[in-house]
Amino acid sequence: MSSTSNAPTGNNRVRIVVATSVMLTFISYWRAAAVILNDLGSSAFYAGGIAEQAIGKSAPWFVLGVMLFAFAVRAVYVESCSMFVRGGVYRVVKEALGGTLAKLSVSALMFDYILTGPVSGVSAGQYIAGLINDTIAIADARGWVPAAIHRMFHGTPQVGVNATAVVFAVAVTLYFWWQNVKGIEESSEKALWVMQITTVMVVMLLGWSFFTLLKVGGHLPPFPTLANIHYSQESLGFWKHSQLPHMFGILGLIIGFGHSVLAMSGEESLAQVYRELAHPKLKNLKRTAIVIGVYSFVFTGIVSLLAVMLIPDDVRVKVYSDNLIAGLAMYMVGPEVVRLAFRAFVVVVGFLILSGAVNTAIVGSNGVLNRVSEDGVLADWFRRPHKKYGTTYRIINLIVGLQLFTIIVSWGNIYTLGEAYAFGVVWSFVFKTISMLVLRYRYKGERNWKVPPNLHLFGVEIPIGLASVGMVLLSTAIVNLFTKSVATESGLIFSIIFFAIFTFSERVNRRKHADHAAQMTEQFQLQLAESVERETVGIRAGNILVPVRDYNTLNHLKWVLERTDTREQDVVVMTARISQFGTAAYGLSTEQVFSDYEQTLFTRAVSVAESFGKRISLLVVPARDPWSAVAQTAHNLESSTVVGGLSSKITAAEQAFALGSAWEAIPEPKQQFLLQIVQTGGIVDTFRVGPHTPTMKNEDVVLLHRLWLNVTREPGLENIHHHDIVTEALTRFAHDYGSGDHEDIVTQLRRHGTEAGPLPVRRIADQVPTVQPGPRSDRDEEHHDDRSPNPPAGSK
Amino acid sequence: MSVSVLLIKILEVMFVAGWAGSAFVLVLTGIEDIGTLLDRKDEDSH
Repeated sequence: MSSTSNAPTGNNRVRIVVATSVMLTFISYWRAAAVILNDLGSSAFYAGGIAEQAIGKSAPWFVLGVMLFAFAVRAVYVESCSMFVRGGVYRVVKEALGGTLAKLSVSALMFDYILTGPVSGVSAGQYIAGLINDTIAIADARGWVPAAIHRMFHGTPQVGVNATAVVFAVAVTLYFWWQNVKGIEESSEKALWVMQITTVMVVMLLGWSFFTLLKVGGHLPPFPTLANIHYSQESLGFWKHSQLPHMFGILGLIIGFGHSVLAMSGEESLAQVYRELAHPKLKNLKRTAIVIGVYSFVFTGIVSLLAVMLIPDDVRVKVYSDNLIAGLAMYMVGPEVVRLAFRAFVVVVGFLILSGAVNTAIVGSNGVLNRVSEDGVLADWFRRPHKKYGTTYRIINLIVGLQLFTIIVSWGNIYTLGEAYAFGVVWSFVFKTISMLVLRYRYKGERNWKVPPNLHLFGVEIPIGLASVGMVLLSTAIVNLFTKSVATESGLIFSIIFFAIFTFSERVNRRKHADHAAQMTEQFQLQLAESVERETVGIRAGNILVPVRDYNTLNHLKWVLERTDTREQDVVVMTARISQFGTAAYGLSTEQVFSDYEQTLFTRAVSVAESFGKRISLLVVPARDPWSAVAQTAHNLESSTVVGGLSSKITAAEQAFALGSAWEAIPEPKQQFLLQIVQTGGIVDTFRVGPHTPTMKNEDVVLLHRLWLNVTREPGLENIHHHDIVTEALTRFAHDYGSGDHEDIVTQLRRHGTEAGPLPVRRIADQVPTVQPGPRSDRDEEHHDDRSPNPPAGSK
Repeated sequence: MSVSVLLIKILEVMFVAGWAGSAFVLVLTGIEDIGTLLDRKDEDSH
């Protein structure tokens, strides 16, 4: 019998198994690259325009230089991931330079993350406003705009570009705020789909641009020399009245490089997806790095270059600096209507990828703040879950509040936003690279790969490659402090405020956490386990798994305990500690997996079990996705049934579909199980997850029987069984489905599907008849009849 | 030579030396990347 229970252990404490590894659904390097490119690739829509506004026509060379240098920065990330599975900025800096500088680096990273939202939302709005205005202008030029409207607007009707961008950015931010409060799940599938569409656009853009160059010719932008760098008023910041930038050629290069560095924002995502990469991890990480490197070099770098070559000087900065790719589409060879249609396609793709980046900004910021709050450097108040959705809504509110503030204060000025953005990007890289240098000497653990080249002199390793990357980043970051006054002022204010909040919260929390730890030690005994195994939890196969999240809704646990003899069948209460992309990148300590929230949750669960006088086993599982966590845990524990409460967001059938999909992702061999969703009032929906004998309609059973009767009348077929007929029918079906009758079969099945309810649920988890509340004794009888843990009435 | 000029000179040296070293990083990792791309035995296509 299990020793893991709410029954007192030797010292009156309840034992809880805490899995320390996040349960992840591993993804291929293509999907990982798509997730990163959704952030990194979005900068192609604005980086070139911002750089040219700052330093003139030679800007594309700097953007190309930044994209080339990004390969070297990526190498730093590969090395950090080869040391720590979660090798993001916070972990690496904390390991190398301690908590104070880690907090400072996270403040800079937060500035980067938070600004990703406004800069992407505003950029998408600029593209949309630009398309609306140009379409109206073209229509007006053809006389399609009525004279009355023309008179009303005193000319061609136009929307305010910045105002439209602000409205759009606010709307998109609010949309994703609500989605995140509700707890949407990120999907690599969606990211892959967006990148597939983006790739179609990039291929068309490049092909058409090169064709245009062949037809009409073009000139390369002027090479980046001091004479060719034309600083704008804003681009010199505190050096606006100084002669220094005009005196030193290489300083000019650093200034230009610094104004283009925002093009490589998004590299941090590489460390965050590493945790979820499929085996062989390091090799796949390198492949991911190559894919995103080549893609962003071509997309952001080459497209910036082509824009300068094809869009005439007099309109490029004046009209298209904020929507450069749209401008490129308008200056291809071909009929105007086709160019306008392609521009609309560019805007749609821009909308998809930039909106995705707005979401990434909220998710990433939430992940990082969750992580640091779990480490005790942000007050627990922020992590209190939403009553209905269970999300860390206060952190999300804080992030979105800051983003909305930024959007409104900037009033759609993409240049100002982009300039400020670079502060967070470059300083988080600086902290990371310096920390990696320190770790070359301090870190003695496993390291599977190093940034080359490395010299060995007198037994001492000199990391030339790593130091070189650090020198470029540090010199750029320092020069940026002088030339980007908006970034320096806003970045420093933001970082100092965040740093102060972190430091103050940490002090307040230290004492509180000490009390909490003492209290927890008195009540619970935590048993850490790398992975979830039946033996570790100490339970028998065929157990019932009860996922819980909200301590106010434990009715399904009561329902299970009411009907289960725990001496015969174990009940495991599990909660999944959800880690998003951001948090999955960091190490998890016991306190992070088992916080005061889990303590309260399990205290309530134990109290429920005690009220029934029954034993339960307790389990905490960190996971990226709750459905994967439940499916994998049920698989690992060999559970026969999973009993959950009804979600506040989706229906029971949708819950079954989600769990069924997660089950499909588990590698073979795997066994099926029952899923029971307990609704208010004791109504229970039961589904079978995994392949199983289908629930057959009466008329089908009758038809099968008639066929069997007819067939057995044939000479020599007297010994045929019902299942032989099913086998023959299925074999013929498989043959016809793969041949010319495919379409007919699909049409017929669609008709059946429409008649019988939502198809996805039926495909993965067949529903069996709904259980209505009934007398307990009946259910006990059914239990014995069906040899099933909690079989509902009529279940087959 | 003023302090600011000295600082700029130091930054310029860091930037140029950094880029020179980074060029080695790019070449060496580039060669390794080609090997990684050619080695497809562990590759999955999902």
